[in-house]
Amino acid sequence: MTGTSVSKLTFLILFILVSLALSACNNAQADVPALEQRAQALNQSIMCPVCPGESIDQSQVALAVQMRGIVNEKLAEGWSDEQVREFFVERYGPSVLLEPPTEGVSLAVWLLPPVGVAAAIGVFILVVRRMRRRPEEPSVIDGDDSMSDDELQPYYERIEASVSETDIDGQDR
Amino acid sequence: MVDVGQLALVIALVVTAYAAIGSFVGAWQRIPDLTASARYGFYSVPLLLLLSTAALVYAFVTRDFGVRYVAENSNLAMPHIYTWVAFYAGNAGSLLYLALVLAVVSAIAVLTIRKRLPHTTPYALGTMALILLFFLAIMLFLANPLERLPIAPPDGQGINPLLVHFGMFIHPPLQMAGLVLVAVPFSIAMGALAARRGGRDEWVDLGRLWGMVSWLVLTMGLMLGSWWAYTILGWGGYWAWDPVENSALMPWLAMTAFVHSIMVQKRRGMFRMWNMALIMIAFTMAQMGMFINRGGPVPSVHSFAQSTMGWLFLAFMAGTLLVSIAVFMWRYDSLRSRAQLESFVSRESAFLGQNILFLLVAFVTLWGTIFPVFSQAADDTVITVGRPFFDRVNGPILLLIVILMGIGPLLPWRRSTTQSLIRALRAPLVAALLTLVVLLIVGIRQPVALVAFASVGLAVGGILTEWTRGTRSRHRRGEAYPAAFLNLLSGNRPRYGGYIVHLGIAMLAVGVTASSFFSVQRDIAMIPGDVASFGDYTFRYVGANHTLHPDRAESIAAFDVWKGDRLTGRMEAFRAFYPTFRIASTKGAIRSTPIEDFYIVPSEFGADDQAVFRVLINPMVWWMWASGPVLVLGILVGLWPSRQPAPAVVRVPGGAQAARSKVPSPLMGEG
Repeated sequence: MTGTSVSKLTFLILFILVSLALSACNNAQADVPALEQRAQALNQSIMCPVCPGESIDQSQVALAVQMRGIVNEKLAEGWSDEQVREFFVERYGPSVLLEPPTEGVSLAVWLLPPVGVAAAIGVFILVVRRMRRRPEEPSVIDGDDSMSDDELQPYYERIEASVSETDIDGQDR
Repeated sequence: MVDVGQLALVIALVVTAYAAIGSFVGAWQRIPDLTASARYGFYSVPLLLLLSTAALVYAFVTRDFGVRYVAENSNLAMPHIYTWVAFYAGNAGSLLYLALVLAVVSAIAVLTIRKRLPHTTPYALGTMALILLFFLAIMLFLANPLERLPIAPPDGQGINPLLVHFGMFIHPPLQMAGLVLVAVPFSIAMGALAARRGGRDEWVDLGRLWGMVSWLVLTMGLMLGSWWAYTILGWGGYWAWDPVENSALMPWLAMTAFVHSIMVQKRRGMFRMWNMALIMIAFTMAQMGMFINRGGPVPSVHSFAQSTMGWLFLAFMAGTLLVSIAVFMWRYDSLRSRAQLESFVSRESAFLGQNILFLLVAFVTLWGTIFPVFSQAADDTVITVGRPFFDRVNGPILLLIVILMGIGPLLPWRRSTTQSLIRALRAPLVAALLTLVVLLIVGIRQPVALVAFASVGLAVGGILTEWTRGTRSRHRRGEAYPAAFLNLLSGNRPRYGGYIVHLGIAMLAVGVTASSFFSVQRDIAMIPGDVASFGDYTFRYVGANHTLHPDRAESIAAFDVWKGDRLTGRMEAFRAFYPTFRIASTKGAIRSTPIEDFYIVPSEFGADDQAVFRVLINPMVWWMWASGPVLVLGILVGLWPSRQPAPAVVRVPGGAQAARSKVPSPLMGEG
C-alpha cells in the first residue's frame, strides 16, 4: 500500500463518519415539533435568575423547570418569541436575557469586537510592513552574524548542490 | 499533625522570602554564595509545603472538625475517598494546593535551567519566589487552611454536591495547576530579561519547554472540565461561556499564541519583544482567572472557592503587570530582532496572524466577561453577557483560526513564490473542496458549519499530504513504510509534534462544530413501561429505583434502548437531590460512538411515577474527548529531546547558528 492510498483511505473513513453522523442528526431534527424547537431556542436565551450564568434550558433548579413550563404554555397560546422575552424582562429585569440588548450602554459590548477585528488587521499589516522596512542592523549582541552574504555564498552553493541530489519532497519547508 | 503543618507553612514563608531577596541581591551584587544559598533554601520549600498539605489531608481523612477549614468543607456523610481530595474544594485549601504545585514545579524548573542559563536563573528564581510568597502570605495572614476552631463541632458542613464526582480528582487539580504553572515560563522570561539576556535566544528552548508544559496542563484541565460538565450537569452541553470557563480559556489562548510565536524566535531570532509581551499577557490572564474564580465581580456557577480576597488577587495582578512592564522598558534595548520579516506570505507572518487572532479571541472574551461590571457602573442597569454573544462574536474568529491552521504550516519560512505556494496548497485545497461537496450531497446547508468542516478538511489534508510526501520520499530511499513514518516524525520533533497537536485540534473542531450545529434534544414525560422514539433510537422506560440517604434522595432510572431494530442494551441515568444545598446532581446515561452520543438525563421525578427526561442526540462529541490523548501525544513528541542537536546541513565557520538563520529555508530541518 502506498502512502497516497493510506491518506485516501483515511479521508474516506473521515468522510463516511462525518456524513453518517450529520445525516442521522438531520433526520432526528425532523422529529422535534416546530413549537418545541422554538421553545428550546427561547430557553437557551433566557437566564435562570437564581443560578447566574446558566440558561433555563441548562439549569436543574425548580425555578428553571417552572420557567420552561411558562415558555411552553405561552408559545402554545400563540405568543411570539418577542412577547415571551418581554414577559420575563418585565418580571426579572433586562439581565434575564443572556444576549445583551443592542441599544443604550450595552451596545458597546457589541461594537468593540468588530473594532477589534479591524484593529487586528491593521496591526498585522503595520507590523509586517514595519518589520520588512527595517534594515538588518548588525548588533553587538549577535556576534554570530559575523559573515556577510558574500562570504556565505560558497556555502549556499554547496547547500544547493547537496539539495538537488535529494528528493525535494522530503524537505522541511 | 496540624500544628506541624502550620509550623511548616510559617517556615516556608520565611524561607521563600529569603530565597527571593537572596536571589535578587546575590545576582545584583554578584555574590554567588548568596544566590546558591537562596537556591538551596528554595529547594526546601516544596518539602515544607508537602508537609503542610499532608497535615491538611490527614485532618480531612481523620475527619478532624476541630480544623475550621475541614469543618467548612466536609462532613461525616461524605464518601471516604473524597476526603483525600476535598482539601482543594474551598478557598484556603486551594491556595495551599496552588502554592504546593508552584513550589514543586518551580524547583524542578530551576534544576532544569540552572546549568544552561546561569545568569538568568537567579532572577527567574527570585520571580518565582515572589509569586509563591504572595500565596503563602495570603494563606498565613488571611485564609489559613490549618486554623483551629475553639470547639470542634460534631459534624462539618459538607461541600457542594456537584463536586462529589469522579471529575473532582482530576479537573480542579489540573485546571488550577495549569493556571499557576504559567508563572514558570513567565519567570524564566522575566529572568532572562532582567539578566539582559532577552536578546540572546538561550532562554527560548527552556521557556518553550515550560510554556508547553503549562499549555498541556491547561488544555487537559479545560477538557476534563468540559467532560465533567457534559456528564454531570445534566443539560447535554459541555461549554457555556460561563465567566469562570472564560477566565480559564483566556490564559490558554494567550499561551497558545506564546508556544507558537516562541518557535519563530527559536528558528529565526525574531519576535523577541513580542514573545516577552505574550508571556506577560498570558500570566496576567492566568491571574485574572484565579481572581474571577475567587469572588471576582461576576457571578458564575463555579463560585466554589468564593471569598472576599478576590480584590487582593486583582491588586497583585496589577502590581505584577506594572513591574514586568517596567522591566521590559528597562531592558528594551536588548530585545532587537536578528532577522527581518520578508513577506506577507511566509511562515513568520502566518505565526504573527495566528498570534493576533488568538489574542483577539482572548480580549473579546475578556471584554464580554467583565462588561456587566462596566455597564452597571455606567448607567446602573444590570445586563447579562451570555452564551449567544460569545457564540456569535468568537465563532467567526475561531473559524479563521482553523483556516489558518490549515494554511500556516504549509507556508515556507521567509518568503514564497507563487509556484511553490500552489504546489503546497493544491492537495489540501482539494481535500477542503471534497469535504464541501460531500457535505452538500449529504444535505448539510448551514453555511457556517460547511465552512468549518471544509477548513478542517484543509487542515487535515495539509497534514496528511506532508506526512505522506515525507514518508514516501524516505521510503524511496529504502526505508519500510512504518519505519519511514516514524523516522520522519523523529527527524523534526517540534514540527511533527505540532502536526499531531493540530490533528487533535481538528478532531476537537469537528466535535464542537457538529455538536453545536446538529445537536437535537427533546424533553419527554414518561411513566414506567412507556416507549418513545427519537431519531433512530427507540427507548423504553423500565422504571426508577428511589433510595433515601442521610444527605440526599437518589433515583436511578433504567432504560432499554434500541438503535433501529437492534437492542443496544440497558442504560441507567441518575439523579440525586441534596436538600441542604437545594442542588440536584445528575449523571446522564450516555451511549457514545464516534458517530453520535445518545444521551438521557432525568429532569424531574414527579408524582404518580411520572418522570421527565431530556433526551439528546449529540453528533460526534466522541471526537472531542478522543482528541485529548492525541493532544498529549503531540506535545510529548514535540517536547521529547532530540538525541542529536538539530542537524545543520553544512558546517559553517563562525557558528552553525548563522547558517541556520541565513540559508534559504527549504534546506532547514531534517537532513
